[in-house]
This record gives sequence, C-alpha cells and structure tokens, in this order.
Amino acid sequence: MELVEQTHKQTLWEKLSVERIKVELLRTAYGHSLTFLSRFDPRILIGWYSFFAIAPWFINDKLVLFGMLLAIAILTYTSKPSVLVLIVLALGLISDAAYMLIVSLAFGGGLSAAWALSTLTLKLLVIALASIAVFSSMDPEKLSDALLSLGMPAQFSFGVAYGYRMLPILIEEYNNLLYSFRLRGRAPLRKGWLGWRSLVYMGKLSVLAFYPLILNTAKRTRTTVEALEVKGFTYAIKDPKVKKIKLAYMKVLPRDYIFLGVSSIYVACLFWLGNQF
Amino acid sequence: MNARSTMKRWELTSQQKLMIFILSMSLYGISNMITELLPEFKVGPVELKVEYFIFIPLLFAILFNPLYAALGACVGEIIFGELLLGQFGGLSELEKFIEFSLAIFIAGMLVTDPRNKRQLAIAAYVSIGIDQLLGTLIDIGKVYVGIEDLEAVPGLPESILAIEGFSFLNAMVISGTLFALLPTLYLVPRLYGKVEPLLGMKPRDGRASSSIGDFVTPRLILLGIVLVVIAGAAEFMSEADMNFFEWEWEFISNMGSGAVWISLGIAAIIFITTLIWALNRKASKRKGAAI
Repeated sequence: MELVEQTHKQTLWEKLSVERIKVELLRTAYGHSLTFLSRFDPRILIGWYSFFAIAPWFINDKLVLFGMLLAIAILTYTSKPSVLVLIVLALGLISDAAYMLIVSLAFGGGLSAAWALSTLTLKLLVIALASIAVFSSMDPEKLSDALLSLGMPAQFSFGVAYGYRMLPILIEEYNNLLYSFRLRGRAPLRKGWLGWRSLVYMGKLSVLAFYPLILNTAKRTRTTVEALEVKGFTYAIKDPKVKKIKLAYMKVLPRDYIFLGVSSIYVACLFWLGNQF
Repeated sequence: MNARSTMKRWELTSQQKLMIFILSMSLYGISNMITELLPEFKVGPVELKVEYFIFIPLLFAILFNPLYAALGACVGEIIFGELLLGQFGGLSELEKFIEFSLAIFIAGMLVTDPRNKRQLAIAAYVSIGIDQLLGTLIDIGKVYVGIEDLEAVPGLPESILAIEGFSFLNAMVISGTLFALLPTLYLVPRLYGKVEPLLGMKPRDGRASSSIGDFVTPRLILLGIVLVVIAGAAEFMSEADMNFFEWEWEFISNMGSGAVWISLGIAAIIFITTLIWALNRKASKRKGAAI
C-alpha cells in the first residue's frame, strides 16, 4: 500500500511540475519585464553580473560574502523571479550541502566541516541569485542583442532568442507525445520494489518520445531556416553594417554609470568592513 | 572522381550547418529540462539519478556534423538549462561548454559508419567518459578552491573525493548505459536515412571511407589537452593567487583584487579566442581533409 502511494505521488508531482514549468516559461518568454534591473543597459548588466559571478570564488571573508548576498537578495526580490526557480535553487543547495556534510561525518569530520561548507554555500548562493536577478529581468531580445554587440557569434545570440520563444512549444509537444505513448502503451501491472518497474517504464517512454520529436523538430527547423534565408539571415548577420543598424538602439545612459558606481562603492565598503573585523 | 563526389557530399552549406545547430540546440535544451524533472532515486547516501540525455547530441553528431551538433547542444544547455531557469554559473559554464563539446565532437568523429553497432557503442561510452572524467576532476578542484582551509577540516577532502568518485561511477553506469548506449543503439539505425531528407540532406555515407586514424590526429589530442588545461585554469586560478589576494588587500582592497580580475579576464579572453580559433581551424581543416 505504502509503495503504491509513493509512486503515485511521484507521477503526480511530475505532472504538476511539467504544467508549472510550462506556465513559468511562457511567462519568462513573453512577459514584459518592468523591473528595477531591466531599466539598465543589458551590456552593463552583463558586466555587472560577471563580477558577481566570478568574484565570490576568490573571497573567503564571510562578512563580505554576506553583505553581497544581502544586496543581491534585495535585487532578486525586485526582479520578481518565479517561485519555481527559487525552489529548485534552494533544494539543490540544501541537498548538496547536507549530503556532503553527512559523508564528511562518516569520514570523521565534525561541525568544523559544516562551518567550512557554509562558506562554499554562501558563495554559490551569491552567484546563483545574481544570475537569477539579472537574467529574469532581461528581455530575451535585449539579451541576445547585448551578446551580439559583445562579440558573441551570431548563432549564439540567435539561439538565445529562438530558444526563449521555442521552448514552451517544444515542451508542449513533448508532453503530448508522452501522453499519446502512455495512452497506447500499457503501464506495468506490478510496480516492483520502490516502484522501479514504473520508473523504468517512465524512463523508457521519455526516451522513446524523442523519436517522433526529433523528426518533427527536424521539419520545423528546416522551415525556420528557410524562412530566415528568405530574409538573407546568414549573409546579413556577417555584415558589420547590418549589425550596426540592428544594435543602434542600445545606449549606455548616465543612470547606468550611477548604477555601476553605487555598486562598486557598496562592494568597496564591504571590503573595508571586512577588513575592520 | 570518387574523391570529388565524397567531398561534395561532405561539405555542408552554412544553412545546413545552421539547421544542425538549431536542431541539436532545441532538442538537447528541452531534454535538459526534462532530466531536471525525472525523479531521483535515493537509497541512503547513495544517489542514483539521470545526469543528462547525452544520446541526443550524440545522435546528431553521428548522423550529421559532429562540430555543429556539439556546439548546438552546449548552447542549448546554456540557454535552456541555465539562462532560462536562472542558474547560469558564470565561468563554470565555460568549463562545461568545453568539456561537453569536446566529448561530443570526439565521439561523433569516432563513428565512421552509423550502421556499425560496435562503433556506436564505443562512441556512447567515450562521450560520457570524457565529459564525466573532466567534470569530476574540475568539480573536486572547485571545492578545493572554494574552501580556503580545506585541509584543516578533518574528513572533508576524503568525503569530497568519495562523493565525486561515486557520482562518476554512477554516471558511467546509469547514464552511460541507459541514456547513452541503449538509446543510441535504438535510435541511430531508425533515424539513419529518415531524418536527413527532412533537413534536405543526403545520409552521411560518404564518410565511411575514412578511418578513425584520420580524425584522431596528434594535433586533435594535443588541442584537447590544451583546452582542458585552460578549462581547468579558468576554474582553479590556483591557491597562489588566493594567498596573494589575501596579503594584498589588507593594504588597499581594490588594487589587490584588481590584479586577480585582470589575470582572470586575460585567462578568459585567451581561452575564448583559443576556442574560437580551434573550432574555425577544425572546420576548415575538415572541409579540405576529404580531398
């Protein structure tokens, strides 16, 4: 009885999260973000982010890290991230740290291991929250144009825009394929120990469903590329003049400099504080 | 005559490259989101989970062009699995990008005949082996860099080695067999000859004439090693730098950290240019290779 209950719960959870993710993705892909961070130039934001993505690795002062975390947590809050993303992040961090702690206890470590690990967790948290704050408040178009102007290959910046728009559709299609496989197939009669039979069945279906998906997507890709070529995509994208026209709307305004200045003063203050204590 | 026809078939137009890129990107991206949803199997400290559906980029690398399939898959992972979920990890993404594209590219190059099951099996394990081994080494290094007094904490270094070692074995057995070997063996023969016309291409049988030795040249291996070292360096930046950083910033904080950022920036730039150069080089070399 208990085993049946467990597998049932898992599939229910799975279904729930597929639906949930679809909604969240649609929101991310099509929602107009009017948040605090979205006002700034995307290139400035990427630069700002790259500091907070790399710097924490080399800082071991807990006070500095904590100060960074505080500021970034506020920014993350203003950028209205989806709850799902935060839950995934929290689960991942907690389970990772707990797992490492348990194993280190088995090897004779103690609370000192927990203290050392908390530094690592703080670092990871700062980095992850910074990326959530920045990327959830940037429009996909803006992001891809910023990447293009920073010299990334055109395919990459195109991929960003395409991916944001395409993913909800692909997930929907994959979901439908899974449903049709389950409708026509037969689930295992006995669940087996810990429901392994149904897990294997689900795993098999999730792989098999890719066969029609690959064929469908191949057709769709060809249509996309042909439509792009009608507009001369591959030739235009290599032309510096086209690139210039495309990116002309992006301008770095005084408020971007103010944002950068305030951030660097804040970080400098943190370092000073960290030095004092 | 024969050589010329082979070359013609092998050379892809930029539109076809774009198609392979998009196909690999979107499908691997969505599979990346699915693997996040698949239930994990936890029995005590032993964790069995599906790492990724590596068979998808592998399929395209085998059926079409290894380079564009590998690049597409990496981009797909970054966009769908990281950016869209807001889990972009900064420099570590570069490291993942290189590891994964290298693994897929080499595995795709190993297969000369998509109908040969033994080659498919070798490619499946090679791809996951390269990616996981590099990833494990760098993961261990990451914790060593992230925690300053690691050696002083009893039990922590051993436990990290144990965890990473176990997850490597887990990935090789579970993901390697269930999600690399079996799907590849099942899907490649079914897709071969069917999916190419949908993209307006001919099946890739022209490559059957060339042997493995043509592709695994010393230069490729050397390039691989160099790329891995750079990928590692982007992650580690060595203990020495950190010590330097700590001594310096007692005096004036921003200057001390500035040195680190400059060196980091230079490392990143060198590393990106090397990557781009290497890929361009490889692409142009392969076009000419069939002559």
